[in-house]
Amino acid sequence: MKILIIIPAYNEADNIERVINNLTNNFPEYDYIIVNDGSTDETSKICKANGFNLLNLPLNLGLAGAFQTGVKLAYEKDYEVIVQLDGDGQHDPKFIDKMLKMMNNTDSDIIIGSRFKEEKMSLGIRMIGSAIIKKAIKITTGCSITDPTSGMRLFNRKMMREFAYNINFGPEPDTISYLIRCGYKINEIQVKMNERVAGNSYFNLKRAMQYMINMVVSIVFIQWFREKVDEKCQIL
Amino acid sequence: MSNTLRILLIIASFITTYWMLRKIRKSQIKIEDTIFWIAISILLLIISVFPNIASFFSRLMGIQSASNFVFLFMIFVLLLKVFMMSIKISQLDHKITSLVQEIAIRNKEFDDQLKKVLSTSENH
Repeated sequence: MKILIIIPAYNEADNIERVINNLTNNFPEYDYIIVNDGSTDETSKICKANGFNLLNLPLNLGLAGAFQTGVKLAYEKDYEVIVQLDGDGQHDPKFIDKMLKMMNNTDSDIIIGSRFKEEKMSLGIRMIGSAIIKKAIKITTGCSITDPTSGMRLFNRKMMREFAYNINFGPEPDTISYLIRCGYKINEIQVKMNERVAGNSYFNLKRAMQYMINMVVSIVFIQWFREKVDEKCQIL
Repeated sequence: MSNTLRILLIIASFITTYWMLRKIRKSQIKIEDTIFWIAISILLLIISVFPNIASFFSRLMGIQSASNFVFLFMIFVLLLKVFMMSIKISQLDHKITSLVQEIAIRNKEFDDQLKKVLSTSENH
């Protein structure tokens, strides 16, 4: 099975070398692509110096735009499965194998690497947002996604086509809730995530607030009115 | 606030929300860009259903009538939105410029390398 790991990276100069070396040394069976999202630090230089597989965006598009670039590449190069991993080493590639098996066994379209499927959610300011989004998805779709904000996700080829070419298909919880409503199968698997070793998270308080408002309004209100993917396919 | 104004505001907020949702359905706008318009519609709806809110604020600010407060408030919010949009447009403009420059530079690099390869192959 042809698998591509997509690693969106924004100012990850301190992490990217460690992350990719771990990937190429311990998991050479997977292809990977770094999507450098217009970083202002040395990320692109380091990738080029090491000969890493790199897509360099000349501008900052944001996570959704960067991820979509990777998905487009994967779709055009006929990959069957894509995995989204963070560039800061929080996600351990050893779980990809388990995710793949789960996808094949349960015939799922998306597998989310969840921190809280079997383990209790720790209380903290950062988790409040996640809990609110979880509740919003539960109320509107009836499905429990234990870790909707997890950045470790696996998508099959059917999903790739949608994510590659549609507007409003960011790799975010509101898209997940929309896809549940469209009848796609989404499953979760317990993973362990590492703490960020170096650098800062893209999220500051203002961004986090904005993100929360967007997600909650989008999940609770807007998703009801969106055209279902399958309906659209029939029209085409 | 007169009943006519209230009804007008209610109709306007429903039309705005309907319009935005239609645009989302047709995949013509990003969801995060509609949040502002939907929030404004809900606010106007609340003000027209409970006009006491507007009267309270107009008394507080020494404005003669509640409808004047609603007008002032809307002008203020729209000004803010226009201001934010100007910033956004300016940033977009800058982004397009750098994109075009980037493409031009890449093209030249590509052409130069192609010429180099062609000339070396001719020499052989």
